[in-house]
Amino acid sequence: MTSSLDPLATAALAPPPPFPLSSAALLKSAVDRVRTARPELADRLDLSSPYALSAVRAGLHGANTAGGDEVLAVVVIGRLDLPGWVRETCAFAHALEPSARSAWRRSFTRTVYLAGSPHNLRERFTFDHIADDGSVAWAGPASGAATATLRRLLKAFESSHELTAQPSATVTVPGRPRARPPVHRDLYIATAKVTVTDALVHVNHLVAEAVLDGLIGPGDRLTLRFVPRLTGLGARFAMLRVDTDVHRPDELQAHAGLTMEV
Amino acid sequence: MTVPPRKNVLLAPVTVTPTKPLTPSHLKGLLWTDVMFRATAPLAEVTYRYSHTTYHVTEQTVGFWEYLDRTHGETDYTQLSEEDIGDLYVRYRSGEQHQSADALRPYRDAVEHSDWVHPASERLLRLWAGHYERLGMHDPGLQEHQPPGLGLEEMIERLAAVDLVLDQRHGGGPVYLDLTRYGMPLRRIITTDGRPNYLACALRELLPLVPWYDEVVLLYDRELDADYQLLNRVLTRLGPTVRRVPIGRVPIDGKITSARHGGWRGHTAGALLRAAADVYEGDDTGALRLGMRLYFIATLGPGQSQSFRHDLLRQCLTVAARLLDRSRAAVATGAGDLSGTLGRHRRDHTYVDPYRLTCSLLGKGRPAPDPGLLSAVFL
Repeated sequence: MTSSLDPLATAALAPPPPFPLSSAALLKSAVDRVRTARPELADRLDLSSPYALSAVRAGLHGANTAGGDEVLAVVVIGRLDLPGWVRETCAFAHALEPSARSAWRRSFTRTVYLAGSPHNLRERFTFDHIADDGSVAWAGPASGAATATLRRLLKAFESSHELTAQPSATVTVPGRPRARPPVHRDLYIATAKVTVTDALVHVNHLVAEAVLDGLIGPGDRLTLRFVPRLTGLGARFAMLRVDTDVHRPDELQAHAGLTMEV
Repeated sequence: MTVPPRKNVLLAPVTVTPTKPLTPSHLKGLLWTDVMFRATAPLAEVTYRYSHTTYHVTEQTVGFWEYLDRTHGETDYTQLSEEDIGDLYVRYRSGEQHQSADALRPYRDAVEHSDWVHPASERLLRLWAGHYERLGMHDPGLQEHQPPGLGLEEMIERLAAVDLVLDQRHGGGPVYLDLTRYGMPLRRIITTDGRPNYLACALRELLPLVPWYDEVVLLYDRELDADYQLLNRVLTRLGPTVRRVPIGRVPIDGKITSARHGGWRGHTAGALLRAAADVYEGDDTGALRLGMRLYFIATLGPGQSQSFRHDLLRQCLTVAARLLDRSRAAVATGAGDLSGTLGRHRRDHTYVDPYRLTCSLLGKGRPAPDPGLLSAVFL
């Protein structure tokens, strides 16, 4: 099962100072993510180098990171269209109740991706969100037990394809803007040596956490831009998804980035 | 008096891939199917569908062929025994290095577009045909080219038409048989790099066939039960009554192992036939054929708790010889009603239950078996 329990990755910077993609900035972004999700965890840890971070990550993967409160979301994918999926991910995250939001944030927006036909499952399972075209459905975030039957019935979503450069696409987050006027941001996604399945994990964490932190809201527009690597773009990032470098396992890489307003 | 129309019955046993010797587990399944086929034939229109061609494209067969050509080059397979070829197969499977779909493509293409069979498997099938002959088993076309009725794409389209497939190939994903609406688990039938598994092959073969039948009987190893439950559900959707007949394997020294791990030496069909010939020295084909059926069907039964025993097999051969003697002596008393005798060994199904029928020959105080029954079904 593809799960994405990765505390090193997405960090909200508030107020977000734009920063270049230096090693220090990547590390800071990763540490900030841990701090936002689990302040008590960040305080206990010496997060002074990427090595320390990978040790922490190994520990977190092995242990029950959020105690008995850990929750996960399940995404059932029948047909995947990346821009449409990003739009619906925003809608799903935005519609969550405050308690579910905070529990999921504390669980590092852990998500499991399964292959399945939402249409064929709808009589047996109640989904919390279904894409307009029925191609993808969401359940949770909830305890693992709540989605155990669904997970037993389905298989981990698989795609052997590497993410390929594709034309940029702009989506509008569903819903009526309330708290603030809508804004437009770019969502950069790294493609080199990244499979479609990896990209789902990276983009899901970034987008979901940006929604939970209020960086993305109803009416906002997001332009998905696919680049081999987020290096030297000159973009001003408000939030990054940081994970292991695809070329150098001891270093960090920005796999996706949400820019400041454009 | 009106005679009810004869029903059309399809027997579709799981096939043994021609990459290894026939083991006791295989023999049991084959004898079981043979008795079912021959016992049902007087009562219904029976088709025994057993196509090796359909399953040659699975990984274990084309992968083995590619391995042989890569590692052994020019070899005269006509000189090899089934055990020799089985040894090569065990070596291939112990390496477990999967070749890319591209490396296997020429082999899959050859199977799809011609009647080509690798000489190693051709050799095995020729040897098996000899075993069938000696055991008096109906040969359902071991060496014939019997392609499935549907191509891979057509099969997927057919499933899509009834909303039973989840095809994620456009995004680099696999193809799944999707019966989740019935609460049955999603099952991958084609991998992300385009390799079909045996279930995909079975669907290519059975989807176009089953609508023509009133009853479809699926005979398979117990280990495959989950897949056959899925197959049952798909085929039922197309109309016929589907019966699943799981058959337990035969442990050797208490262990049930797949033939790919070896461990069959001294227990192959060839070895058992040679050992039986030693018992009789002369030619008593009838006792051999009946005795094998008494052992693999009546003695071992549908389960898989009893390990293979040479002594019990020998005992069954002796019992068979005695039964045949008694049967010959009883000829004078007149022929029995074959249809009536066979018909007693059905329940709510059309096919005749091989276990009940074979067991009916045994037991103290039983009348001598009807020679007509023996020659129609057991010899």
